[in-house]
Amino acid sequence: MGVELTAPPEGKLPDQQFFNDLNGELTDKGFLVTSTEELFQWARTGSLWWMTFGLACCAVEMIHVNMPRYDMERFGAAPRASPRQSDVMIVAGTLCNKMAPALRRVYDQMSEPKYVISMGSCANGGGYYHYSYSVVRGCDRIVPVDIYVPGCPPTAEALLYGVMQLQRKIRRAGTIER
Amino acid sequence: MAEIAEEMVQQQSPDPTTGDVEIQNYTINFGPQHPAAHGVLRLVMELDGEIVERVDPHIGLLHRGTEKLIEYKTYAQALPYMDRLDYCSPLCMEHSFVLAVEKLLDLEVPLRAQYLRVFFAELTRISNHMLNLGSHVMDVGAMTPNLWMFEIREDCMNFFERASGARMHSNYFRVGGVHQDVPLKLLTDIGDWLDTRLPKLFGDAISLVAENRIFKQRNVDIAVVSRDDAIKWGFSGPMIRAAGIPWDIRKSQPYDVYDRMDFEIPVGTNGDCYDRFMVRVEEVYQSARIMKQCLAEMPEGPIMTMDRKVGPPKRGEMKHSMEALIHHFKLYTEGYHVPEGEVYVATEAPKGEFGIYMVSDGSNKPYRCKIRPTAFSHLQAMDFMSKGHMLADTTAILGAMDIVFGECDR
Amino acid sequence: MRAPAPKFADNDGVIETARSALGNRLFDAVERVGEVQLHVTRDGLVDTMVALRDTPGLEYQQLMEIAGVDYPERDERFEVVYCLLSLTRNHRLHVHVRTDEERPVPSVTGIWPVAGWLEREVYDMYGVLFDGNPDLRRILTDYGFRGHPQRKDFPLTGYVELRYSEEAKRVVYEPVELAQDFRTFDFMSPWEGAKYVLPGDEKAGGAEPEAKGAPSPVTAEEQKKADDAKVEPKATEPKTTERPEQTGAGKDDPGNQPKDKPKDPDVVPTKQGGQDE
Repeated sequence: MGVELTAPPEGKLPDQQFFNDLNGELTDKGFLVTSTEELFQWARTGSLWWMTFGLACCAVEMIHVNMPRYDMERFGAAPRASPRQSDVMIVAGTLCNKMAPALRRVYDQMSEPKYVISMGSCANGGGYYHYSYSVVRGCDRIVPVDIYVPGCPPTAEALLYGVMQLQRKIRRAGTIER
Repeated sequence: MAEIAEEMVQQQSPDPTTGDVEIQNYTINFGPQHPAAHGVLRLVMELDGEIVERVDPHIGLLHRGTEKLIEYKTYAQALPYMDRLDYCSPLCMEHSFVLAVEKLLDLEVPLRAQYLRVFFAELTRISNHMLNLGSHVMDVGAMTPNLWMFEIREDCMNFFERASGARMHSNYFRVGGVHQDVPLKLLTDIGDWLDTRLPKLFGDAISLVAENRIFKQRNVDIAVVSRDDAIKWGFSGPMIRAAGIPWDIRKSQPYDVYDRMDFEIPVGTNGDCYDRFMVRVEEVYQSARIMKQCLAEMPEGPIMTMDRKVGPPKRGEMKHSMEALIHHFKLYTEGYHVPEGEVYVATEAPKGEFGIYMVSDGSNKPYRCKIRPTAFSHLQAMDFMSKGHMLADTTAILGAMDIVFGECDR
Repeated sequence: MRAPAPKFADNDGVIETARSALGNRLFDAVERVGEVQLHVTRDGLVDTMVALRDTPGLEYQQLMEIAGVDYPERDERFEVVYCLLSLTRNHRLHVHVRTDEERPVPSVTGIWPVAGWLEREVYDMYGVLFDGNPDLRRILTDYGFRGHPQRKDFPLTGYVELRYSEEAKRVVYEPVELAQDFRTFDFMSPWEGAKYVLPGDEKAGGAEPEAKGAPSPVTAEEQKKADDAKVEPKATEPKTTERPEQTGAGKDDPGNQPKDKPKDPDVVPTKQGGQDE
């Protein structure tokens, strides 16, 4: 029970020389030089504040990923209740017809650049409820989606991996405007 | 100009000097996207200043058509929908469904399976109450207990994963028993956990709020419900117990092996939000007590009915026996046919009475499966419970009701 | 009862007590699968419920559930089932009332206020009207929803689906279009009661499958007589295939026209290769 902490094996440690150089440069000169793109990417990926759009079962796993055991905030991803303050929306759960206009409205209120993670089979494509008369068959019919996380519900680790994938995607995009 | 001035004077009420102006009620919209709404609830509230005059809950924002879908699936295919109803206590939802089908089939269930069901239903109750108590204290402003109680929930999830393979939607209870036997190590681990980690973490978390002055100010005497009201409004579970009625289906209408268990029912005295909170706290300890008894008494033996027309054969058996192979094929394509009849089977889910009204027409699919959600009647009472309270109290009332929209909207 | 279902008090004497308390408002009472069902008349339902609540020996204080059931083949197709619970006697009971689309059922909100939403739900799902419910609005389905989804003749996937339209800048409703149909099988053996004609069997039994005990097939003579009676339509033009419509291939698949393909609003030309570069 609990989490066992183990040190990474020899040879897998991060290159200490890189950090020493960086540290030396900073203490020597007092500043660092980088490109604006890298700076923006660093800022964007380092504080992905997400909009808590918990709809159904997946919302529980979404809460779990924030709680002490998985602690998503160590990746800079903090939950926000207001769309105006958030960068990424995690659509967690079945999107129903009655809820869809509200989802779009929240998405429209978010400020650019904005990203969407679709979490779980229901949000990805309707899943178990695909043939129902009241379910939207995938939240990508309503908002553009960047990352799909599969599972019913995806485990907390899976969502964490999804957020890391989104960070990778942002880094790869490498433009100031989105 | 004079006319307008005259109109303005007329609009102001009797004495303009005292500022005794008539304030109109105004309506605000709470949700459907609100962190304290515990899901996708939309409340249209009419306020007089800060005082709530009228609440009109709009539900159905998570209406997924579960009942309709169940009519198109075989009994085995319909079972996982139960998990997804109340996703905070999945196994208790399955419990009603399998008991209803077993009642229609008049099927005997092995004793070990009954013990395992009770055992995991109580573990589910603990994990559900952790979520509810944690979010309730968070709604009224405390942060730390929630973090600690989620640690307990995380342990419960690990146990579910070890028993069934899934963290949340286990699909572990089956008609005729349970899906898999549990390894002995899992039972001993849960036993250790019940003795050490649960009482420590939970006791610590509750000690922060139970006697806390601020917590009491936010909850005591909020939304008092009398016994008569609780009966008339169809309350059940912790809501009716907090109102002072010692009613628990596990005790009065025992199912599985609850009649062999020795446990007590906590009852509230005032019927306010604080009582509801404390009833749930005590239920966690009682659940732990039931689980320990299960561990002590659980016999060895089969975990699935021997009736091959309902219980699928073991995989090993299928490799040798043609008969077993045929049964397996028939069970996983056509399923079993359930005799005609209609039953209403209700069990004590963590949130209250969760019932299944099932009509079978003798085929392999339910003709009608009406789900009696626990939250429906409680949420309906939201209007009279919040009348006269402040706007900020609605979150406490909502938190103490323990509502999950998966089952409320279905 | 062998099943481990919840065990409540005995059903002994419940039907007799109910019969004496309700009189001729109760037209049928059965005990099946260990549960008592009372079938009562629609008129005087409120009095029936009051009697069930207040008569000593019945004392059903709580209304736990109102369920609708649809039997399309019946005259009065809907059945409204009230599940009652007695806390003092520890007993459960269902009360069944029949109705159709037009004739309303008296509302029991005056006795149990909890019935308000429960009746709203039955109205929403089945279209059963309740006379006396002060707030009979839809409750679960979408705002502006049409139809009553739990009726047996309502299709599982409904009639409309949602999409965000980039042109209209809002969420729009469209007729439902599935990429793959819902796969449903009936497991009836074709020898007993299958309700369809097997491929290749069209000539054998006609459109309708033969019921059990139906008269044996027509004799050759009768068949010949029937065939002679039919008048063959004369061909009006010679059979040639000069135009595409004469090939028998029919029109082009209407779903495969370029103009019918949905415009995907998400696919917009990206700037300089976009972010995936």
